Amino acid sequence: MITDTHPTLPEFEYIRPETLGEASAFLARYPGDARPFLGGTDVFVRMRDGFLTPKFLVDVKSLDGMNDLLFHPEKGLIVGAAVNMNQVVATPDVQNHYPLLAEACRSVASYQLRNRATVIGNICNASPAGDTIGACLVFDGRLHIHGIDGSRQEALSDFFLGPGETTLNAGDIVMAIQLSLPPKDCEGIYLKLGRNKLSDLSIVGVTVLGYRDSDTASGFHFRIALASVAPVPLVPKKAETHLASHSITPQIILEAAQMAADACSPIDDVRGGAKYRKQMVKSLSVKALTKVWEKLNSK
Amino acid sequence: MAFHKINVSVNGEIEQVAVPSNMTLMRMLRESLALTGTKNGCSAGECGTCTVLMNGEPVNSCMVLAVECDGVEIITVEGLAYDKRLDPVQETIIEAGGVQCGFCTPGILISARALLDRNPNPSEEEIREALVGNLCRCTGYTRIIESVKKAAKMKLEMA
Amino acid sequence: MTKADLKTVPSPVGENTPRIDSREKVTGAAVYADDIQFGNALLYARIKRSPHPHALIKNIDITKARELHGVKAIVTGEDFPGFIGLYLQDRHIFCRDRVRYVGDPVAGVAAISEEIAQKALDLIDVEYEVLYPVLDPEFGISPEAPILHPDLGKYVVADFILPKPDTNVSNHFKIRKGDVGSTWEKCAAVIERKYRIPHIQHVPLEPHVAIAKVDEAGEVTLWDSSQSPFAQRSLIADALGISQSEMRVIAPSVGGGFGGKAGVSMESLAVAIATKVKGRPVKLLLTREEEFYTAFVRQGLVAYFKIGCDKNGKLLAMENTFYWDGGAYTEYGVNITRAAGYSCTGPYEVPNVKTDSYCVYSNHPVGGPMRGFGMPEMHAGLEQCIEELALQIGMDSIEFRRRNCLKEGSILATGGKMHPTGLSQCLEESAKAIGWGHKAPPSAPNKRRGKGLALMWKAPAMPPNAGSSAWIELAEDGKITLGIGCQEIGQGAFTVAAQMAAAAFGVPYESVRLAAPVDTRYSPYEWQTVASRITWSTGNAIVNAAHDARQQVLQLVSEAWEENYEDLNIVDGVVVSYKTEKEIPLKNLVVYGLPKPDGKGWMGGPIIGRGNFMPSNVTGLDPETGQGEQAVVHFTTGAQAVELEVDLDTGKIDIIKGVAAFDVGKAINPDMVKAQMEGGLVQGISSALFECLQLKDGVVQNPSFVDYRIATSTDIPDEVQSIIVEVPQEDGPWGARGIGEHSMVPTIPAIANAIYDAIGVRFEGPPFTAEKVYLAMLDAGIVK
Repeated sequence: MITDTHPTLPEFEYIRPETLGEASAFLARYPGDARPFLGGTDVFVRMRDGFLTPKFLVDVKSLDGMNDLLFHPEKGLIVGAAVNMNQVVATPDVQNHYPLLAEACRSVASYQLRNRATVIGNICNASPAGDTIGACLVFDGRLHIHGIDGSRQEALSDFFLGPGETTLNAGDIVMAIQLSLPPKDCEGIYLKLGRNKLSDLSIVGVTVLGYRDSDTASGFHFRIALASVAPVPLVPKKAETHLASHSITPQIILEAAQMAADACSPIDDVRGGAKYRKQMVKSLSVKALTKVWEKLNSK
Repeated sequence: MAFHKINVSVNGEIEQVAVPSNMTLMRMLRESLALTGTKNGCSAGECGTCTVLMNGEPVNSCMVLAVECDGVEIITVEGLAYDKRLDPVQETIIEAGGVQCGFCTPGILISARALLDRNPNPSEEEIREALVGNLCRCTGYTRIIESVKKAAKMKLEMA
Repeated sequence: MTKADLKTVPSPVGENTPRIDSREKVTGAAVYADDIQFGNALLYARIKRSPHPHALIKNIDITKARELHGVKAIVTGEDFPGFIGLYLQDRHIFCRDRVRYVGDPVAGVAAISEEIAQKALDLIDVEYEVLYPVLDPEFGISPEAPILHPDLGKYVVADFILPKPDTNVSNHFKIRKGDVGSTWEKCAAVIERKYRIPHIQHVPLEPHVAIAKVDEAGEVTLWDSSQSPFAQRSLIADALGISQSEMRVIAPSVGGGFGGKAGVSMESLAVAIATKVKGRPVKLLLTREEEFYTAFVRQGLVAYFKIGCDKNGKLLAMENTFYWDGGAYTEYGVNITRAAGYSCTGPYEVPNVKTDSYCVYSNHPVGGPMRGFGMPEMHAGLEQCIEELALQIGMDSIEFRRRNCLKEGSILATGGKMHPTGLSQCLEESAKAIGWGHKAPPSAPNKRRGKGLALMWKAPAMPPNAGSSAWIELAEDGKITLGIGCQEIGQGAFTVAAQMAAAAFGVPYESVRLAAPVDTRYSPYEWQTVASRITWSTGNAIVNAAHDARQQVLQLVSEAWEENYEDLNIVDGVVVSYKTEKEIPLKNLVVYGLPKPDGKGWMGGPIIGRGNFMPSNVTGLDPETGQGEQAVVHFTTGAQAVELEVDLDTGKIDIIKGVAAFDVGKAINPDMVKAQMEGGLVQGISSALFECLQLKDGVVQNPSFVDYRIATSTDIPDEVQSIIVEVPQEDGPWGARGIGEHSMVPTIPAIANAIYDAIGVRFEGPPFTAEKVYLAMLDAGIVK
């Protein structure tokens, strides 16, 4: 209820464990009452609004590996959970090998918010509007998770269950995301539609990654991810398949864009209507696919 | 609620403060240290009036816990001027007429200073982008943007 | 000021003197109300608010909350029977028997921390009986609607406000001029349109804040972010049943007002709570969310226009009906209804006018004064109708406006005559500046380009006897302290006040200090800092005070030197004789006087000048016809034009260029006048493209910056041009009149007209969001 918003932050205990083991154990001891946090830019807001009421906030930013940002010429990119979005944008390895991720990070909120916001935080918040999720999906992101049973990996594509809902269990801490090596000479774009020119949430977000692929009929492979048009970040598989199996022409792009729009189930909410969002998926997908294709062809 | 003892450098001076878990950096500055130049416009990370430099980078202090600031260096608007001499971003915003009610001004100055520190010769577009997290309701932004351009020029000439 | 005085413009009037308050603002030294340090005595208040738009209060149980450690007081409406209101006393400080909007204050808590106060709210149990709400003004005025204020007939009301008891109409303003009924058949073209203008909010960057302390004797001190310290003193004192002199209001720096910090909204809550914790200051600071839905908002409007002209484009008749969604309490909003009523023709001469402007109660947030005071809402539709009418008779809309816009001597809707005005000049200059008649090609194949223009007018809407006063005191250093009751809210009032005092007295600008913060105990009376009246009204008072002080000084020196008064002057802080060339610096005489010429004693003494100003010529308006000799003190007129592009892929609008021209009479500080034009343009753009309080079942769905979007640094035009036109205001200081609000008035229709020029589509109302524009283009077949 809008009449319940808290002036600043409600009461809680701040916990800073020394090790991952300690952190997972603490979180598992207080399921539902303890929550890990990184930048806090989502968690604090939701606490003020009364949606989250944790008794404990567990600061995991200084744990092992959380601040790593490494590019491995065989493994790909590892982005530690505590790495903030500005750091991601500014890192030469990201600019050189994953410019799409930098572009997605750069579109988030404001420079000062990006000094606290993290890619992992964006992922764990599990809003379908998450701007950086699309880039992570199209690079086949894998989450490195530490839980009470030790470490494990999980495909990002399996991670989202619903708005704000993930597969994480009590005691789980996401330590990093690993992005696969970028396909050779790939091109990408993130088109974000907000209400203002910059700084808004996405009303609709379209991520496209394209690359030449001798294994497909069209000779190209396009990966697409859509934000804010379904309960979870959406990958329109039919659209991707269409582009893989037909020679790329403006007509095929248009058809794929229509498939992407058809795959969506946007809602009417305070930010935008379902009809407009579907139209924009189509409109922005055409734009994004065309741009990526043009870039690929110019090489 | 537990209180945490922290040592935090604010505008060059080390302060020892005991802060409750839920106290934000913004509230610590305004309430514990009576540094009220940093403003509270929304407490939600949206308006930018609480922007301060944290280890040289601008952050919304309403979105940072005070307890996270142990060992950290904070610069607020009160720390921009050097010994009565205004920082170029302060001088130029006055000259350009970019101050009206003044409530957004501290946050704007911090963001502007941080921009010029990392990008000494920004384009108009880069300035606009750097300031997008600082809302202003009075000026319409044009004079603020002009003032940052002038400050950049001033700093380049001083160097 | 005589006409002769207008010709000589002493420095620094007309100069771009630097702002008097810049340095404190850029160093973080400026003290806003939430910055004041009160020490450990300070208590924190939070308010229990209604979750229902309309309900009876059956019971309030505060026992559990009262037991919470750290809670010092809890109050409800039971403790405060008094009514409060500016033009109509229709509001209690806390609700007594019923709640009328989501957010209506039901109880207040003071505790030793904000945290404890907030917790206490959850422990207060309120039992409601939910009632059917009024969520639309046309429904509110219909016989089916529940009556929200059954006691409307008993409320104390200003004599120029005309409520209809036993209805939801708290003001009905009428104009009956000429005979519209028989005129329609004479028209070559008639346009009939309906517009729906949504609620928006002021969104000052500094939320409302008030700290109140009541001492053992019952005397009140209120520190608050305020445009109206004296009005707040008066209204709150009346509501509490104390006298005005028993209450003191201190008004520090204001972080933006835009009308929202005028009158009384949340300040009375802090005072009421403070009465229960004598001797301790109690602070109430609104959260940003509360700011959006519990502080004043701009009323919504449903407007019907019927406008006709002859084949030569001469306006013949207007029949306008305005249904204002006034919200739960219309104590301030009733005058918006009136102002829109007497301004209903826009800045045009129309011989036959029938207007009904209704202020209707609803279970929506409280409508109050917002920049433009009804003018943006009204012009939004009117200036589009003008455009459509011109199109219908095949005339260029600039030419249409040229023919109809007010000139000196034009007859107004209320029957009086228009004073000299630069409206035509504003029209020509802005049309020229936007390049009217030339169409530039769009910047890309997926864009459509358009230009649009709109005129405006506005008078200061206030009681006919709203007064200003000022004093001038000198110190041993020969410098001036200027006492004023107006508020610096960012517009530059303090700076121009200092300029005018310096000019009228004869000292450099740097020699003037303002006696600030305004404190009703020491500062001279000022009605309110609203209505764009300060430069004009307070300016006149300042000039009078300066002349009074000047006269004392020159009288003293003329006696001491045994010279003629007329041969003396004060220039740059020095009294000079043009005859003998004798000189004496002010500091040598303004406190200790001068020795008598014969050496036997002293003359003079501490110089203290005083002046006031109150309009004297505003006549009433006939309640049936709305006609009267002088409806208002004067009008400021102007024009804005924009050039924009519509993106066919998304519907987004990009403002390429915005130009404005306003007739300010005399720009006391031209750069600051331009700054007002720029800021108003951007706030206008923001209201046209983004802003809307989304109300559903009486609940604001978007009470935060996340979903109430305002213009950011990336949303402003690439190019802005501001043009000052000066046709002197006869009774203004050096000819000056106001500008603060006007720059936001014509922006919505200017943009709407430009959108039409670009894609041939019009809308029922703003905001012209990308979604709205895109779906309209889809419907029109412009995109597929």
